[in-house]
Amino acid sequence: GSIETREVHSAVAFVSARREWLDGKQNERVEVEAQKTESGLVPTHLALGSCHRGGATSGFTVSEFTPAGKLLVPSGSSSKGLHLHCCCYMEPFTILHKASSRKTDKISTGTGKSRTTRRIDLTASLPASTDISDVNAAESNERHYSNMRMEAFEAVWSSTESSIKDVLREANATIFSEIHEWVRDSFDTIVSFGVPNFHEATQPFPVVKDATSKQIFTGLVLTRNIEFVDDLVTFEDLKQHLKSQGCHVANLSSVDFSSKNGVGTCLRSLLGQFVTGSLDTADISMLATWYKEQQNNDNPVVIIIDDMERCCASILSEFIHMLSEWVLKVPAILIMGVATTVDAPRNVLPSNALHRLHARKFTFQSLPEKMNYVVETAFVKQSSEFTISHKTAVFMRNYFVHQNGSVTSFIRALKIACAQHFSTQPLCFILHWFLRDEDNEVPQSHIYGLSQERMLKLAFDLPSWKSTNNQITQLSGETLLDGLTQLKKLHKTWRMVVLCLYEAIKGENVQLLDLMCEALDPKGPFASQFDIGSRVLPSDDSTSQKFHSLEKNKGLINRAIRRVKELPANQLLVLMKAWEKHTVDVPEFHSEVKALVLSLLKLEENGESLNQNKVEMTNTRKQALRGHLNGADKNLRVANEKASNLVDLMVRRYMCPVECVALHEVLCFDCVDQLQAALIGDMRRRIQMDLQDFHAIIRCSCCSKRGSTILPSMPDSSIMYTLAQEHGDVVNVHDWYQSFKSVVLSTHMVSKRGKSRSKQHSPTPKKRKTTSELSQPSEASIQYPCPCSLLVVFSLFCRLSLLFINDGAVELKWKTLKT
Amino acid sequence: RKAKLFPPVPPLSFLHSFWSDGEQTPESRTFPSAAFCRPAMEINDGEEEEEFEFSRNYFLAKELGGSSKKSGRKISDIDPVDEQELRTAANNLEPKHEREVASLMESYKASYPEWGFMLRTGFGLLMYGFGSKKALIEDFASTSLTEYSVVVINGYVQSINLKQVMVAIAEVWWDQLKAKRRNSPSQAQQPFNSRSIDDLLAFMDGQEADDDKSFVCIIVNNIDGPGLREPESQHLLARIASCTHIRIIASIDHVNAPLLWDKKMVHTQFNWYWYHVPTFAPYVVEGVFFPLILAHSSTAQSAKTAAIVLQSLTPNAQSMPIESLYAASRERFLVSSQVTLNSHLTEFKDHELVRTRRNADGQDCVYIPLANDGLQKLLPEINP
Repeated sequence: GSIETREVHSAVAFVSARREWLDGKQNERVEVEAQKTESGLVPTHLALGSCHRGGATSGFTVSEFTPAGKLLVPSGSSSKGLHLHCCCYMEPFTILHKASSRKTDKISTGTGKSRTTRRIDLTASLPASTDISDVNAAESNERHYSNMRMEAFEAVWSSTESSIKDVLREANATIFSEIHEWVRDSFDTIVSFGVPNFHEATQPFPVVKDATSKQIFTGLVLTRNIEFVDDLVTFEDLKQHLKSQGCHVANLSSVDFSSKNGVGTCLRSLLGQFVTGSLDTADISMLATWYKEQQNNDNPVVIIIDDMERCCASILSEFIHMLSEWVLKVPAILIMGVATTVDAPRNVLPSNALHRLHARKFTFQSLPEKMNYVVETAFVKQSSEFTISHKTAVFMRNYFVHQNGSVTSFIRALKIACAQHFSTQPLCFILHWFLRDEDNEVPQSHIYGLSQERMLKLAFDLPSWKSTNNQITQLSGETLLDGLTQLKKLHKTWRMVVLCLYEAIKGENVQLLDLMCEALDPKGPFASQFDIGSRVLPSDDSTSQKFHSLEKNKGLINRAIRRVKELPANQLLVLMKAWEKHTVDVPEFHSEVKALVLSLLKLEENGESLNQNKVEMTNTRKQALRGHLNGADKNLRVANEKASNLVDLMVRRYMCPVECVALHEVLCFDCVDQLQAALIGDMRRRIQMDLQDFHAIIRCSCCSKRGSTILPSMPDSSIMYTLAQEHGDVVNVHDWYQSFKSVVLSTHMVSKRGKSRSKQHSPTPKKRKTTSELSQPSEASIQYPCPCSLLVVFSLFCRLSLLFINDGAVELKWKTLKT
Repeated sequence: RKAKLFPPVPPLSFLHSFWSDGEQTPESRTFPSAAFCRPAMEINDGEEEEEFEFSRNYFLAKELGGSSKKSGRKISDIDPVDEQELRTAANNLEPKHEREVASLMESYKASYPEWGFMLRTGFGLLMYGFGSKKALIEDFASTSLTEYSVVVINGYVQSINLKQVMVAIAEVWWDQLKAKRRNSPSQAQQPFNSRSIDDLLAFMDGQEADDDKSFVCIIVNNIDGPGLREPESQHLLARIASCTHIRIIASIDHVNAPLLWDKKMVHTQFNWYWYHVPTFAPYVVEGVFFPLILAHSSTAQSAKTAAIVLQSLTPNAQSMPIESLYAASRERFLVSSQVTLNSHLTEFKDHELVRTRRNADGQDCVYIPLANDGLQKLLPEINP
């Protein structure tokens, strides 16, 4: 049935046949029905086949396979003797199928206000006896709903992603404009060396003046990232920025500067970014011609090389030489990313190339700073409500700190988390509802294939709801709406408090991510009063005193509170002004902060007037002044105290970790294991685990009693693998085979075992309990009908190990065996 | 290059278990491989400890392994049979756990919607786990990705021309575009196979599509296969995968496969989303190019081919002794000049009858890379 969808241009079929049947059938036509083979492959449209005949591949070529998947044989001859063993798609590539036209009649994706689609319960299975049209309708509905979910995901994720991108770009804005200024200055300098006249400009060779005019202005950009993946993003932004300012910009990567292909590759890549049309040869004179043809020649050509240290030094220096010769015709300015120090070019490039460079250093923001921006945007300031649980936050923090160290990967991890949330949480669309800010009406679940009753049931079955609101019996849309509004409000205030705390310790080289992890902890010292069900309690001073004394010196939150107490007046004023902005939504705090700001301002005014007075101060007035200063100190201390109490109150009253709020599952991603599995494939370990613990995956009944023994019914590969584990560093193939044989034919091998073991110098005279009580001795012979099957199984496994376990291991021993 | 990427550090060397005094139950057997793969994360300290245990075991095993004497047994003792016989037997082999494997495959069907979702959100799916994943992935594509064109690349094939593949993908994408806007006249197109790789990439990355959501899906069976192991191929695949209108699903089987990619490729181009999908299905197609190790092949086969080559040579060349230096040959009037000798030697080298290596003094020495039993079989055949 799959014939229509697959096109195989040619394929080789391995056909084995009984020898006597094939005798004399060379160059005859053979007909074979396409059949399902062991591997589950269905041979389809075959055009070419070859046959193993007798011992060797005799080139028995079956040239005609009909489109229906048949090999043609002359009429009269029986096809019984021929066994199509394996049809291999030996084509390097095939087209499995082309896009079906069904896409065109897919349900239009609108908000679907008045559409009367059949509401499908996501979790309920389809009734068994639906007719085909129903099934089709269900299918198309399903597709529609998944499209809607997709849309919701895209809306939520793109709002997060774009704001992260913006903030990163903003962070670099000053340095970008600094670079642009320098590019302009450099260009002016180059032009001042002289512009080629018409005659010079049309010649296909460079214009040469004195040595200074051969210098290339080079910006060395210290990216201060750990991973160059992050640099790529920065350089892409830089490219866009310079382009928007009118420069001609090209990006070259270190791959273009590989010693293998010479300088031609980077030239071609450079030309490819400027000159349109196909390039047969790459020559810098073409670049000069192109530049001359530009409408306005008052823009420089900026070439960005992302990671200079990874480039091949000789190619890079050749490239620099070439550019410097042509610099009057092609006013090129280099920007090179440097990962380590500004000395890097000196270490990489030869001196004659260095002489051609006129370098200047630029430094981007450090990675922790960038990270703080990202976290702040993604979790604390973001417009979408999507967030992650404490466990996930800790995982992502560790992933960043210990494993990856790149902002790009962190964002990617966040995207995976978000995508997983949308693919697993049936109520995820509420995030979209949050985003659209439709607080006053109940989320329209039916657009996403969920009836309202079903949505309510799902929502009120959430563990967080059950544990907090079990006393509420009337479960209506309004209840849900209230719950969601409350959730949103609490999440908002949590973010406010975290932001205020972060402002307080910003200067102390603190990572916002760490602070966030602490603030998210539902079991943390500050979360105890937000025990699910009793949130926003009036503060109880005695308990707060208690835990304050206990946790006095621990954690970033306490540190922030302490720091507020000790801040000098001017810094406190700055902090309070920042808080004033953040607390707008909580009037209670906002007014207090405002009052504090006013008092601090007054204090500052007084201080200034005092300072002015200081100049004209006379000895007699000193005393009075000192008293005045002491008064100012006192006032400051009072202000410090007030601010500290304020933040303390904020933390206790409003920093409710999202996991303590009812219905938080809607917006909070918590499947940390799933995230980890998707993010970090543990190839080696998992493959070995598959082989070792195959039973957990296959769940067969025959190997369940396995325990510590190797059973002949186990998959051959698992047996082989387990045996290989028992051997030494290198497995002797012979011994390995013998052990394998003894396992699969364990009944009659048990007695021989001891003897053969003592002879083998396998370093492990292991005590393996081979099953002697194998109930049916015939089982092995059923599995392996002839002795040579054992060889096959073994060979197949060895082939496997050549294929994927390692191509070295067996080969090594193989060689020692041979020599 | 292949050797560099897939270093012959035999994982089998740490496949074996660790025994302190010969007494060990499989429960206490630790899994040494993790000494080489950093544990994914360290939420708690327990894992660190575990890791330490792993590395300790590794060195323990190294010590033991080095001191152990090697077994001197040979494969020829097993009495291997003819390759054809093996192949025939392989056909008749009853696969184990057929039913369980089938139901395992069936169980993955429940994940198809999720896979489709992840693919559409822009991730590349990377399937790993024991067993052939070809049938599984293609089944997924045939059932869940019907609205997109799907191109399959078979990495297990020995050589793949990626340019051709790209041309095919571009054509498919072009068809898909054309089908969507039938009314607009197709602009004069330069045929794809005369375009440069960059042009093709630009076309697949381009903004020509009306809606950005449609794409062509590429399935790469064994992206770590021999046909794709070159860094150039991987770079090109990564560039293809990063195009706007391309999504990729790939399978890997080699434990070192992740070494093929740098972080740029993993995080920004392929954008892998890992799925552990052990299938325990036989690697029928994937392994077809690898020799059956216990076939009566290696020595017999090389002896056979050696005989054929030698018989087709001139009588003088045939009787060339093993360590024939020019002088010795000349003494026996086998060759008259260094040039003739060299041409013979070149001929031998081309047919792998002779190889050269450098001895301790730096002289080039020629030798026959055949085992003794192979040579013994060979000699009576050429000198009957």
